[in-house]
Amino acid sequence: MDHVISVRRLSVRSREKTLVGPVSFNLEQGSTTGLCGPSGAGKSTILRALVELLPSGLTRDGELRVLGRTIPPGRGDAELRAKVVLVPQTPVVFGGSVLDNALFGLRHVLRAPQEALRERAEQALEEAGLWTEVADRLDSPAQNLSAGQRQRLCLARALALEPAGLLLDEPTSALDERSRDKVEQSIAALRGRRAVLLVSHDPAQVERLCDTTVHLDQLTTESETAAVA
Amino acid sequence: MTTKTLAPPSVPSGTGSRPRPSKWIWSWTWVGAFAVIALLLTVVGYLGAGVGSGHVGWADLLFESAWSPANSAYGGLAMIYGTAVVCVLALVIAVPVSWGAAVALTEYLPPRLARPLRLCVELLAAVPSIVYGLIGIMVVRPVIARIADVPGGDSLAAAGIVLAVMITPTVVAVSVDALTAVPDRVRETALSLGLTRQEMIRSAVLPLARSGMRAAVLLGLARALGEAIAVFLVVGRADGRMPTSFGEFVDSLSHPGQTLTTKLAGPEPVLAGTTGPYFAALCGLGLILLALVAAATIWGTRGRTRGATTKSAPRYRGSARMRLQRDRMVRTLRLGALLLPTALLVGMLALLVTRGSSAFNPSFWFTSATGAAGGGVRDQITGTVLLIAATGILALPLGFGAGVFIGVHASARTARVLQTLTIILGGVPTILLGLAGFVILSTTMGWGRSWLAGAIVLVPVVVPVIALTTAARVRSIPAELTESAMSLGLTRAQFIRSVVVPYTWPATITGLLLGLARAAGETAPLLFTATVFFGAPALPDGIVEAPVQALPTHIFTLSQDSGDPQAVTQAWGSAMVLVLITAVLLSAAVALRNRFEGERWTT
Repeated sequence: MDHVISVRRLSVRSREKTLVGPVSFNLEQGSTTGLCGPSGAGKSTILRALVELLPSGLTRDGELRVLGRTIPPGRGDAELRAKVVLVPQTPVVFGGSVLDNALFGLRHVLRAPQEALRERAEQALEEAGLWTEVADRLDSPAQNLSAGQRQRLCLARALALEPAGLLLDEPTSALDERSRDKVEQSIAALRGRRAVLLVSHDPAQVERLCDTTVHLDQLTTESETAAVA
Repeated sequence: MTTKTLAPPSVPSGTGSRPRPSKWIWSWTWVGAFAVIALLLTVVGYLGAGVGSGHVGWADLLFESAWSPANSAYGGLAMIYGTAVVCVLALVIAVPVSWGAAVALTEYLPPRLARPLRLCVELLAAVPSIVYGLIGIMVVRPVIARIADVPGGDSLAAAGIVLAVMITPTVVAVSVDALTAVPDRVRETALSLGLTRQEMIRSAVLPLARSGMRAAVLLGLARALGEAIAVFLVVGRADGRMPTSFGEFVDSLSHPGQTLTTKLAGPEPVLAGTTGPYFAALCGLGLILLALVAAATIWGTRGRTRGATTKSAPRYRGSARMRLQRDRMVRTLRLGALLLPTALLVGMLALLVTRGSSAFNPSFWFTSATGAAGGGVRDQITGTVLLIAATGILALPLGFGAGVFIGVHASARTARVLQTLTIILGGVPTILLGLAGFVILSTTMGWGRSWLAGAIVLVPVVVPVIALTTAARVRSIPAELTESAMSLGLTRAQFIRSVVVPYTWPATITGLLLGLARAAGETAPLLFTATVFFGAPALPDGIVEAPVQALPTHIFTLSQDSGDPQAVTQAWGSAMVLVLITAVLLSAAVALRNRFEGERWTT
């Protein structure tokens, strides 16, 4: 069976120099993979390279295969991003209700009756471990949720797309301990059902949540910068 | 609370077509972007074609001062001289006062005083130029006549003073923006190093705000260069006055002159036809004017976008003693600089309210005019409302499309170029828009005087305002918001429809209202294209030869008859009505801006 994501010698460079990598790893069906490394090593950059959301001026090198299909650099599009969904570090809540937010990606990607979309969004909320907390206020503004709930809402709206892979960028970095535990529970519950790539600078968290770990070691970056200098 | 059980998804993960792909959004933004370019090309193209239609002696136009179409003498030097004199005079008066007032407003006054004053300054900046012209005729001219002992008082000096009064609010407002953009921690740091307030302002704040304050002056200069109507009413429009010695130069200030814009706003463009050397010479003057304004505009915006350039550190002049005394003195001076704009504000309000008191009589709003002598301004109000409504309907989609294009669609370079073009379009002297409309719509297409021609001619006034406010708002969309939306698999078109449009529309509407407030007071574009003084029905039927009456042109005509007290009363009343209409539009814009600017989308 194909890997969900397969990466060979992937690196990110600006016009002048290589910034991150090269790295190689596979993301297996149903497994949670940790991506760790010291801050500044380019963990978030790698995630953005996987879904072609690099800031302008940066480009990706190396091979990227998603569900067995090779994605040439610069050719990833909205369809790719609907299959491999990135959940950014800062939880962003769009204007509108909780349900609007859970539906936000889905209603742009899937043509289906309103009830079917809604059912799927509610399942996603359940899967993200948020359902019991928001079931009675799906129509209230999402801005009223707590930070931890917002983070899980972002997770839910990604899950609603039924993505093949889920890329989580430091999902607990902005949270207090109690919210962090809840988000971690939600991520742990995905194990075995989704392919998750979890970026974290906290080794203990990676230990708790991940089956395998990819170390983005800083040596490559350092040697590259040394070569340039 | 209920708990849901997990069921297998009832909807297959489709690979079919997306719902609402919104591809039309692209066409819309392209149309907007092309509209900006097309409007600009139309103005430049009409002037260029005009110049090409007859032989233009550029040497004569630039270096000869005799203008006499009957003898085929087309020398523009006296007009260039007139333009230079009135603009320099305006800047010399307005800039020190405006800068001082801006510093006082941001650095010395407590916020609870500064905020309403800032709002007043913004309101003043939006007062139609015809109202400034009226004040020039009624107030400045008699003063000049008495001081310089010349009959009438129509003079270059009067024009310069009127322009100074007119651009002061603009320069203050933009300078205040530049000063408030300097972060407070800069001030805090400087003060905590033991600097006095005046030293802090000079050494820490002004270096950061300098480029913005210079841009404010250039913006004021561009307005002064392009202003036709306010100058027209007080400059005297005497051709061929070109001093040859310093004594004559001083003397020329208190005597009538001619500027580029007043020549074009006079009756000559209508007499000159649409081909031949006469028309070509007028188009040549238009090109010179456009080049001057565009140069000031580009220079001004370049300074602002490049940001603060650090020059050499200001040297500390004077001894270290007397620091506190000096600080107190500068403070008094700066607060004193506020007096003039405040006096201006109070004076203008008092003038308008006392002389224009007829505007507070409801019957003035709801009866139609009976010539210059009496009646109300009902038809002028409906005409103005019709014009700006039609302009708004035409300009809103174009401006919004262009703004979104600049904000998200284009590559950085294209966006910058288009933004500059939009700014230039916004700075095109409106008299040139009027002449382009007259030649293209009224004459060539045979519409005659038509309300629709007037509305179309006002479109280039409104589109840039909408486009620039929209683009600024689009650029302020937080990067995380964009990333979150894109990472959920939205296409760019869907992103624009579902994120950019809801996020941006309040700014777009604000821009529309600001633009319409400006358009409502425009006189020059309507004179030849859309309005008559008397005899048009309240609402036109049809498009061809269907003129309306409008408030600005009504005031314009009345105020040229300044000997007639009846006409003067009517003019002031109409001016008050016009100011009230612009104030309503502007207040709506400010309220909308304050309401939505603070709205948070992200956490």
